[in-house]
Amino acid sequence: MTIDELTLIYAEVLEAPGIAPDEDFFAAGGDSLLATRVLSAVYRAGGGELTFEDFVAHPTPAALSTLLIGRQASPLGVAP
Amino acid sequence: MVGAGLAGLTAATRLAEAGADVTVLEARGRVGGRTHGLEVAPGAWVDAGAAYLGERHTALLDLLARLGLKTVPTGMDGASRFALHGDAVEQRDGRFPPLAAVALGDLFDRLDALTRRVDPAAPWATEGAAALDTLTADAWARANLAHPDARTFFPLFLGEMMAAAPEDVSVLHMAFYLRSGGGLRYLNAFAGGAQESRVDGGAHQACELLAERLAGRVLLGRPVTSVHQDAHGVTVEGHFRADAVVVAVPPLLADAIDFRPGLPAPRSGRATAPGCAVKVHLVYPAPLWREQGLSGWSVSAQGPLTSTVDDSPAGGGAGVLTGFVTGADAHRFAALGESERRAAATAQAARLFPGLPEPIAVHVTDWVHERWSRGCYAALLGPGDWLATGPRLTERHHRVHWAGTETSTEFFGLMEGAIRSGHRAALSVLEGHDA
Repeated sequence: MTIDELTLIYAEVLEAPGIAPDEDFFAAGGDSLLATRVLSAVYRAGGGELTFEDFVAHPTPAALSTLLIGRQASPLGVAP
Repeated sequence: MVGAGLAGLTAATRLAEAGADVTVLEARGRVGGRTHGLEVAPGAWVDAGAAYLGERHTALLDLLARLGLKTVPTGMDGASRFALHGDAVEQRDGRFPPLAAVALGDLFDRLDALTRRVDPAAPWATEGAAALDTLTADAWARANLAHPDARTFFPLFLGEMMAAAPEDVSVLHMAFYLRSGGGLRYLNAFAGGAQESRVDGGAHQACELLAERLAGRVLLGRPVTSVHQDAHGVTVEGHFRADAVVVAVPPLLADAIDFRPGLPAPRSGRATAPGCAVKVHLVYPAPLWREQGLSGWSVSAQGPLTSTVDDSPAGGGAGVLTGFVTGADAHRFAALGESERRAAATAQAARLFPGLPEPIAVHVTDWVHERWSRGCYAALLGPGDWLATGPRLTERHHRVHWAGTETSTEFFGLMEGAIRSGHRAALSVLEGHDA
């Protein structure tokens, strides 16, 4: 998924007017409950099933996008 | 005033300040209602009843400030323990359970959509209210939650949020309760949410201080069974004569009063049930789990203790793990004998926290069968109840006015709702009976 697609998801879940590509979800007011709603939106958009730990390790749209693209590129479906 | 909980004492204080001659009748031998203090070690108090608050609870924060009471943050630093897959206990940093995040996100998405549909000021007037009020939360979950992790988590979440089993409440009540408390995120959160802090020394002090200031006007051990009105006033218990009465007790207790003339409709609906909460306090010499990097937070799929939280008094003196027994477990647990309850709670604590010694004391507070509360946190409205009772929630019955957290559409079921209802009832009396 692209950074733009993810910033839109973040903004919707956080009810924020806009989110920067390098903005940390938890610093922007997110918590674990809201994090699951980002992950369910990513899943619905075809981005695959991420764990909560994946998200905590990649909390910005930019980092999460890199993780998702890496997984799609990997034949085993895991990040290189 | 009938009832010396937060709602009744708030209304009585406000009326007394306006110059009214107030008498508060309380059934118990103490004030406080569903707030109650327990001294677990000399000078170390915990909340056997309502405990938590957050920054949106402005009426409660105002009251605490006026009474000179302080708040302390609810500590959640450290790792959590989870028993969600059979007997295995898993440890995680933070509060997130070892369950599929996407499945929980899907559950929260669905709950959030329901919550947003509700008319918060008048849930019975919500578009499609009849359909939402027909279904139980259990039927909703069976129809909407496919993932086993969502099905595991949903009853635990509902138990924690509103002390209900999914089969006890209508979808309308669930959605309303979550909305009334500030929405899913706010109601669920500790930091930045509804469990952010506690009252230093116990929430019960608020009622004790209010009663102290009403010196001599609060009568204990005076249950009210009759409220009879005539053209000129009201007679309570055949003895107390008043221009107006505020009934500040839960709906199931209000319906046990003999009103004349009778009420146009009962205060509770046919499916209204007591909130299912039993609180267990496990007392240790100190918060020993902190030395092991644990927060004291745990969640278990198998009861009795669905969750535990560190409620150690801020001033020291003891370490306290509070265990919550909610929903269907509360009925089963409450039915056990005293020694069986202690044994079950202690055994579960030992499984969850094997590094801890035996607690030095175990206190069990059964709110389900508490005669003068009939449940905690609040009454549970089942199918049909909101449509039947909602429209008359705050409507006075001639000289009888209503208070109590169940009459507040804002922060229903919480201390904040009780206080707001007390202010509203006092204004209603003052408007209706110009002194």
